[in-house]
Amino acid sequence: MTLTLNLPAVPEVELVAAKAVELVGRDLQLASTSIESVSVATVEACLNAIEHGNQSGFTVRVGTQDDGEGRWLVIEVEDHGVGFDPDAVPAGGKSRKHGSASNRGWGLKLIRDLMDDVQVESRPGLTIVRMRKRIGGAE
Amino acid sequence: MNDEQLKLSSELMAGGVGLVAASGYINNEGGQAIADVINGLLKQGATALLIDLKGTRIINSIGVSILLEVLEKLMERNGRLAFCNLTPTIARTFEIMGLAEYASIYSDRTEALEELARLTHPD
Repeated sequence: MTLTLNLPAVPEVELVAAKAVELVGRDLQLASTSIESVSVATVEACLNAIEHGNQSGFTVRVGTQDDGEGRWLVIEVEDHGVGFDPDAVPAGGKSRKHGSASNRGWGLKLIRDLMDDVQVESRPGLTIVRMRKRIGGAE
Repeated sequence: MNDEQLKLSSELMAGGVGLVAASGYINNEGGQAIADVINGLLKQGATALLIDLKGTRIINSIGVSILLEVLEKLMERNGRLAFCNLTPTIARTFEIMGLAEYASIYSDRTEALEELARLTHPD
């Protein structure tokens, strides 16, 4: 089963994707902490798609996968913008004064930290951020 | 998504502690709304701020960035910033983005207010 959402690039539409993740996560009996982590990662991926995609919107797919390593909740966020080099994304900046992060660019870092497995495929016209959370894994 | 609509309340408490209670989704607009409320508390004389996030499940990176700007403003004034009632994911987000390094994090409002009172008035 895969839930597919074709979403317009409008303010707070990322919450629609987060709600879908929450419902599927609950159905899979994922721990609430895991659901929250996946929801935040999904929000960040959607924000990137809204910011860097084109005006026609983006697609979110929520589903499950079984492989030799176990069972996964899988979220894909696809946009058709200019694309980017995931290895060149700065992992959040440091402010001059206190060493804290005060600027943008944290989305991909958060996604990678909150999810168990993240793959990014990006080229001009197509970006897919594929995020997986292990079902029944450690918190 | 109504449960994610941001609700804010604020109060200047004894000892110059400004309390901000925020529940709902904190994005760029929500973060800015919190910053505006905090600016008001600072003008009223607050020297320490407690942000209670009970009821907030999602804060995005832009919202956290705005809170970092609030933190820097407070640190320039030798003020204190504290949070309470964070979900584990929000606490982790604060840790990743550096906010937890400079702000204090407490489990609940009672503990936070007691500790802030002790720190701001050690006698």
